[in-house]
Amino acid sequence: MIPSLSLEITVLLLGILMLLVESFSRSDDKRGLAKMAIGILSALVGFSFFVDPASGNAFYAVDATAHFFKVLALLTTIVVLIMSLEYSSVLAKYLPGVTPGAGLGEFYSLPVFTCAGLMFMASAVDFLLIFVSLELVTISFYILVAYMRRHTASLEAGVKYLILGALSTGFLVYGITWIFGLTGETNLAAIQHALATKAVATTPLLFGLMLLLTGLGFKVAAVPFQLWVPDVYQGAPTPITAFLSVGSKAAGFVVLLRVLQPFLGVPGVGVKVLAVLALMAALTMLYGNLAALPQDNFKRLLAYSSIGHAGYLLVAVASVSDTKATFGSAGVAVAFYLAGYLLMTLLSFLVLIVVARHSRGDDILHFNGLAKRSPFLAFAMLTAMLSLAGVPFTAGFYGKLLVFAAAVQAGKFWLVGIGILTVAAGFYYYLRIVAAMYWQEPGDTTPITIAPLTRTAIGALTLAVFVFGICPQPILRQLKDGGVSAVQENAGKPPQSADGLRPWGV
Amino acid sequence: MTLTLNHYLFVSGLLFAIGFAGVMLRRNIIIIFMCLELMLNAANLSLVAFSRFNLVNGLPNYNAQVLVFFIITVAAAEVAVGLAIIVALFRARQTTHVEDINSLKF
Amino acid sequence: MSEYFPIFLQVVVAIGFAASALLVSVVLGKAAKTNKAKDSAYECGMPAEGGAQPRFSVKFYLVAMLFILFDIEIVFMYPWAVVFREHIAAHGPGIFWSMLSFAGVLTVGYVYAIMKGALDWKS
Repeated sequence: MIPSLSLEITVLLLGILMLLVESFSRSDDKRGLAKMAIGILSALVGFSFFVDPASGNAFYAVDATAHFFKVLALLTTIVVLIMSLEYSSVLAKYLPGVTPGAGLGEFYSLPVFTCAGLMFMASAVDFLLIFVSLELVTISFYILVAYMRRHTASLEAGVKYLILGALSTGFLVYGITWIFGLTGETNLAAIQHALATKAVATTPLLFGLMLLLTGLGFKVAAVPFQLWVPDVYQGAPTPITAFLSVGSKAAGFVVLLRVLQPFLGVPGVGVKVLAVLALMAALTMLYGNLAALPQDNFKRLLAYSSIGHAGYLLVAVASVSDTKATFGSAGVAVAFYLAGYLLMTLLSFLVLIVVARHSRGDDILHFNGLAKRSPFLAFAMLTAMLSLAGVPFTAGFYGKLLVFAAAVQAGKFWLVGIGILTVAAGFYYYLRIVAAMYWQEPGDTTPITIAPLTRTAIGALTLAVFVFGICPQPILRQLKDGGVSAVQENAGKPPQSADGLRPWGV
Repeated sequence: MTLTLNHYLFVSGLLFAIGFAGVMLRRNIIIIFMCLELMLNAANLSLVAFSRFNLVNGLPNYNAQVLVFFIITVAAAEVAVGLAIIVALFRARQTTHVEDINSLKF
Repeated sequence: MSEYFPIFLQVVVAIGFAASALLVSVVLGKAAKTNKAKDSAYECGMPAEGGAQPRFSVKFYLVAMLFILFDIEIVFMYPWAVVFREHIAAHGPGIFWSMLSFAGVLTVGYVYAIMKGALDWKS
């Protein structure tokens, strides 16, 4: 049994070590750094199962939700590092430097710092830690998005992300301020206790919560705060786009789940917050899926599709009910959907990077005839697209099923109706890629070579998408027994400890 | 007349509104960035006011003041990274105006 | 409120002095001639070259940014120093090691900046 915090500390030390090696080494080849990081992070995924469940404190929770999202963060970072290795030749073109490898070491170490931020966020149960870890993630992303300094699109994406990200931070902080002012606490459990015992004015509380929702809405890219997504996704280096669409989203949703919990039981507040979330969910699903229809650039298409998927996740968040069943529980639905989304999104970006490197472009037409050039890549992309669209026997289908079950359980039938309509729209644009790969003639017929590490990652992700879709029961049982669903369902109940300050011991 | 919590909250709200309006209306990225800092400082002001006026056992609530320190630090980090990106953009495009940042369609 | 009166008075005096100085110069001074020669930096001699805002080397920004980053950390050291003695007496030396690790991380950042040549003024 190891203390849970040692995982994050190891990741941070790894990042620092990588920076030091980068600054002292004379070698131009920085790939060893990334491979070392991939190895250590993989080992940490194993270690995370031996965490001492009593090693939390008032700032830092050690529970099943935290563990689940930490594993997600580690796996995402590993795949992003593999992508970065594949992408380094493109990156080197756009980096000014006297030596060929200049600036690549930082590109491998910044995702490690981001990973540490994501892991802290999975455990954060105090607004202080939530804020600092969220900013660790966001500021690393500012640098990574604008990383290609000779590439105007990347710089512009960086500036847009910077301004809108800082704006969302402003809203988040101001919301935290108001909630602190009303309850006198920054700890979520203590806030819940204060709300249950003191009379708190409803209007300022709603104001603070709406500011908070605005800030988090930017992070998870929910309509009407989604304007930055397409440009930033298109301009950023492709591995970072993948990281943004998975890591940033997972982090936003775990914070949303944790932060909303104390407020759902407050009379006159919980219902209104859920109504706003339901409205945002409906708009996000509609906007994401409809705006994706006419896109020709694959990265931009995935950007709109990621907005659409944020909509489905919001449906689950808005459908909290007090069921004890696995099927229909909002917490389980969010966790499972995010896990599935992670697999299929990373898979499609991984294939995109390989294809874009050989075709010198990331438009849909560059996928023409991929089945003839590399059946392996085409099949992997086919899997990812079918899963994103929600075809049965894939992870995406089961995730959507759980989300809609949660909505039905909560009596939000209109959301299910809109959801099914938008899924139908999704079929059209996802299958365009499939059509291009299998029914178009290739532009050039040179076969595509794939590095062994990348090939392994693509194979593993493809397999995992099917495993999640065909036999999800073991994973669901893990989520249920681990109490992920309990995140939301004990909403409104007073915290365990009497003073409400240190509910996790220490 | 004595200064009450509401006065501080009013000033802080005003600062936040000025900052937000600046972000929406101004066209120079550096000024937009200053307005963003104004929004963070509005939050700092109200945090300190809440801490000072909601006493815990006769003392100010220090949780809020620690949060203010962290907000200041994070804002400094954000400024450093932000200015670096803006300088890089200026070297590439010779502009700091948002209208000129249009190579990606919106 | 009354304790703020001196500050109020000072603000009034400051604004009043600036306003009255401007007013006196408008009333008593001669209206200045304005033409291109008068507006130039030097009325005689070499014609002025370049604008009024010379371009600074990017090094200034780099050093300023590093200064902000390392300067702001003192904000955590003040409260730490204030409670240091009592905290060590009550809870043991954990507080000392946590500040040492904080300073250690800062040192790594500093070493990184030096190795990358960020403080190298010449190159």
